[in-house]
Amino acid sequence: MERSIFARNPSVPIFIGVLTLLALGVTVMSEAYGTGAISVSFTKVLGMTLCLCLAALAMDLVWGYCGILSLGHFAFFGLGGYGIGMWLMTARTEDVVRANLMGGVIPPTEAEVSDATAAQIFSVVGATDWPWMWAASGSLVLSLLLVVLVPGVLALVFGWLAFRSRVTGVYLSILTQAMTLALSLYLFQNDTGLRGNNGLSGLQNIPGLDTVGQDRISIWFFWASAAALGLAYVGAVWLVSGKFGNIIRGIRDDEQRVRFLGYRVEAYKLFVFTLSGVICGIAGALYYPQAGIVNPDEIAPIASIYLAVWVAIGGRGRLYGAVIGAAAVSLLSTYFTGGRAPDIDLGIYTIEWVDWWPVLLGLGFVLVTLFAPKGLGGLVDYIVRKDRA
Amino acid sequence: MNSLLEVQGISVSFDGFRAINNLSFVIGCPEMRAVIGPNGAGKTTFMDIVTGKTRPDTGSVRWGETGRSLLALSEAEIAQVGVGRKFQRPTVFEDQSVWDNLRVSLKKPRGPIAALFDRVTEADRARIDEIAAEIGLSDHLDRPAGILSHGQKQWLEIGMLLAQDPRLLLVDEPAAGMTTEEREHTTALLKRLAQSHAVVVVEHDMEFVRRLECRVTVLHEGSVLAEGSLDHVMADERVIEVYLGR
Ligand SMILES: Nc1ncnc2c1ncn2[C@@H]1O[C@H](COP(=O)(O)OP(=O)(O)OP(=O)(O)O)[C@@H](O)[C@H]1O
Ligand SMILES: [Mg+2]
Repeated sequence: MERSIFARNPSVPIFIGVLTLLALGVTVMSEAYGTGAISVSFTKVLGMTLCLCLAALAMDLVWGYCGILSLGHFAFFGLGGYGIGMWLMTARTEDVVRANLMGGVIPPTEAEVSDATAAQIFSVVGATDWPWMWAASGSLVLSLLLVVLVPGVLALVFGWLAFRSRVTGVYLSILTQAMTLALSLYLFQNDTGLRGNNGLSGLQNIPGLDTVGQDRISIWFFWASAAALGLAYVGAVWLVSGKFGNIIRGIRDDEQRVRFLGYRVEAYKLFVFTLSGVICGIAGALYYPQAGIVNPDEIAPIASIYLAVWVAIGGRGRLYGAVIGAAAVSLLSTYFTGGRAPDIDLGIYTIEWVDWWPVLLGLGFVLVTLFAPKGLGGLVDYIVRKDRA
Repeated sequence: MNSLLEVQGISVSFDGFRAINNLSFVIGCPEMRAVIGPNGAGKTTFMDIVTGKTRPDTGSVRWGETGRSLLALSEAEIAQVGVGRKFQRPTVFEDQSVWDNLRVSLKKPRGPIAALFDRVTEADRARIDEIAAEIGLSDHLDRPAGILSHGQKQWLEIGMLLAQDPRLLLVDEPAAGMTTEEREHTTALLKRLAQSHAVVVVEHDMEFVRRLECRVTVLHEGSVLAEGSLDHVMADERVIEVYLGR
């Protein structure tokens, strides 16, 4: 029966509660506003993790609910990063250039500032002029628009072509892999205007906030990431709780049957695919200023596969499962590959976790598949239900 | 009585095998029609063609007063003009509750935006309750459709068809898996529907067909072998040979 989405989905108050507690906890332990128990770099790790959770949420909408196994969603994530990155880099470099030129006798003209900024940004790829795709980089508002529009339009066009031809299943997954691979290869080239394999860097420096330290900036981004995740969660729950959710789950289970009920399956798929692409773009725009750098490696095909693995480990089709999966796996990954985990010396052989992390992840994947087929989220369901009984 | 569906000379081959061979079929509204024929005669394939699932190699399928061609339309568009279908193998959304299954079937705007903002009105609620009572699933509304018995799934699919409120109902083997009592209920329901709709029923059970008291079309190897009252077709030599004499 129709009830409010909170009654239908008790996970909403719990999710928002946990997220709020986490935000409060991190704040009181932060260097900027609290005891300093959590370092600036770890604050950034946590903020970035929340952005990955947001991307996983989008992945769950498109895969867990609509049955479209996209292995290209990190392309949208990366594009969001590039969208905001162009503005960050332009504005920041312009500030630096202006400060340098101020030393002269005659104040620099706007054209001189612009030329010098371009020279500074593009010297690594041997160019001095603004590429056309940087046209919006002078304006924050336009750049924020790009963050939404570029992934959105790419998803729309790609989805329209693929769904219209009724490409489904493995073929669609391969196509999405091809999309993200093509995009990353394109960006790798030096002459495409996005600085080739150098990518965009120095993104942690927020223009106009020079006097504000990274300690405060990191916690602000953490808050913003938490807010975005919370909002998206409520929105996603609303989306899947009503008739729309019934229809897309129907498409996942038997799309032909949905067609015979008179629903244009392609339109629904396109809607979900594009929406999730946009969410990924926003997640990327929040992520890369915390990471400081975005380059074409970020959207290599493997990144999108990881996204699917997180959702699979977390458990599909329950939203919080995807969030739990992404948080758990990406934090563990940071722990093992970031040099935090002590290597184990076995005498004849030293286990270096950086190398062994993929093995561990694979093992974890197999174990979850065997012992918790509904993922970590399914485990949570099980425990909660047991408590009630 | 005007014709609602006019199928003219359709043929379709699967890898060289002619499943439908120059088949023609006309039904008006309101009208009830039973389609019988041995296994593999092409009954289900015929429904596939009308609903847009399979494209015929030749022939035409015309719809309604204007005689517009259904061949140019997608499955969803064909459903939207008013063709509803119950599948031979019951196909309901097993993961979702009976209530949700009926809700998505209700005749309402089919676009994504409309679905996002769809509210369940009092009328919707009443209609769902009414259908649930009709199909005997009033006590099962909150249960997932996947755990229903085979017969109950058949009923649910009939309920979904009712909720869609199509003009033409294509009903493929509705009585399979039903008790005698349920079969009687199904015949009564179909006959009532046929007072205001076009209803095509495929069924192997002759007793069931007899109780429908309607014209019968006999299919064999993808073509119409005979058409008329049940007694008339049963008396036909060729029908006896290919169908009843086996
Ligand atoms: N998609 C397909 N590909 C290949 N052959 C098919 C396909 N669909 C149907 N056929 C064949 O076409 C013939 C007609 O099948 P159809 O399902 O229409 O028969 P039917 O009259 O509904 O039989 P039944 O009474 O057993 O349901 C069969 O020989 C079947 O194997
Ligand atoms: Mg059949």
